[in-house]
Amino acid sequence: MRNLGTILIRLIAVYLMCFSLPGLAVESLALVTHPSSNLNSLSLETIKLVYLRKLMLASDGSRWIPLNLPSTHELRRAFSISLFKKLPEEQESYWNEQYFQGLTPPQVLASEEAVLRFVAITPGALGYVQKHSVDDRVKVLQIISIADLN
Amino acid sequence: MPNIQLAWLIALLTYSVQVLADDSGSGYQLGRGYTLGDSGIHLGGYANAQMHSQGPSPTGFSLEDLSLFVSWDNGSKLRYFSETEVEDGLSIKEGQSLTTGLAKFRLERLYLDYLVNDNVTLRTGKFLTPIGQWNLMHASPLVWTSTRPVATNNLFAEHATGIMLQGVIPLSERSIEYSVYSDYTSSLDPKRGDAPNFDNAQGLRLRYSLYDNLQIGFSYADFALMGDTNSRNHLTGLDLAWSYQRFAINSEIVYRDSNSLSVSQHAWQGYIQGVSPLTESLYAVGRYEFFDQAQQQTGEAEVLGLAYRPTPSLVMKVEYRLGKHNRQLAPDGLFASFTVLF
Repeated sequence: MRNLGTILIRLIAVYLMCFSLPGLAVESLALVTHPSSNLNSLSLETIKLVYLRKLMLASDGSRWIPLNLPSTHELRRAFSISLFKKLPEEQESYWNEQYFQGLTPPQVLASEEAVLRFVAITPGALGYVQKHSVDDRVKVLQIISIADLN
Repeated sequence: MPNIQLAWLIALLTYSVQVLADDSGSGYQLGRGYTLGDSGIHLGGYANAQMHSQGPSPTGFSLEDLSLFVSWDNGSKLRYFSETEVEDGLSIKEGQSLTTGLAKFRLERLYLDYLVNDNVTLRTGKFLTPIGQWNLMHASPLVWTSTRPVATNNLFAEHATGIMLQGVIPLSERSIEYSVYSDYTSSLDPKRGDAPNFDNAQGLRLRYSLYDNLQIGFSYADFALMGDTNSRNHLTGLDLAWSYQRFAINSEIVYRDSNSLSVSQHAWQGYIQGVSPLTESLYAVGRYEFFDQAQQQTGEAEVLGLAYRPTPSLVMKVEYRLGKHNRQLAPDGLFASFTVLF
């Protein structure tokens, strides 16, 4: 009975996600970094802090360079909901506050391919693409399953 | 005649904001500043025009704050930030003409950050005293009312000049933010009327997110104030911030005890504020505050207001404040402001 309840909740979560992100055919996001990174994984909390620009340095001392896709991009919206439970426009007040502290939001690149190219040549860069878009130019640090996070 | 000048000022300010907003297509975004090429230099700031009508005082209007941020970050471990402010750059009062004579330049903040490791940043210079939430985010576009709660700057200095260690420590699925600081010079502090300035101070602040939408904070400071350097003050503060969709509740409470003979030896001050959306851009704001004060009974004030936020960077506010034993620190009156991050 308990399992049935869990399955139902997950089904509802997936249903809601599909309707809140119409047309999104993404089941998993891959967090990628430069292949020379000595990290093999990154916790969700750490990814959150890097994208909120509260964590600036990696454990090896290099600067994190978090990358975003445009706020209207389906993948950006899926990433934002998965990690922060908020859409990009709902984080505006947070970025206003950070701006007052001299911090600007992560750099925005136009496409997944642009993210892959930037990450491939920039140590410390951290971006996200669809899992099936990953190739050997980058190193995967985390797979974020949307359904798992809801 | 002053009313015509006032209308011109408001029209000019509104037009300026429109011009700035129209620049977004060329890479500039209102409220996010402007980056100078690949130099790592970023420029920005905010402006706040305010109208107030307090008790028997004549109604006044002023360009209360015009702040310029300059930051530099080239991707190394060193970062720079400064905020220079023109206070009361333009002002006008009932029966008087427009003047720039009250304008004051302030160096609000100036510091260098060195990223020591992933959990520690060393800050050197002049920075906002990390006590409570409001003092750290006090810029008018970031707060919901034109007036500031007494508890957020009456018992301590708004700025400290010295060194601070700060950072974030991930704890399982949450994280804790910390700041530890020491103030040891006043050379960057301008004389600010009755506002308290630290002679020296040490303190810490911790902030923990219980949930994504609920944060609690703890602040402690041990300090001496300029003009009363023989006395030590100990201040403890607790604060809370909760939000749900577009609703929000914020509260702070501070307690200061002092061995000074010239100020109240024990003082409690605090506030609780609620924000509720009325329409897509319009919000209702209510606040209750209380404040122990020297040589008077404990004061109280209630604030009721509206805030219109058509974009995240632009806010228009109007509010009425009413209280008792509040004439000195939070007088009754009507306040309105127009504020923009640029």
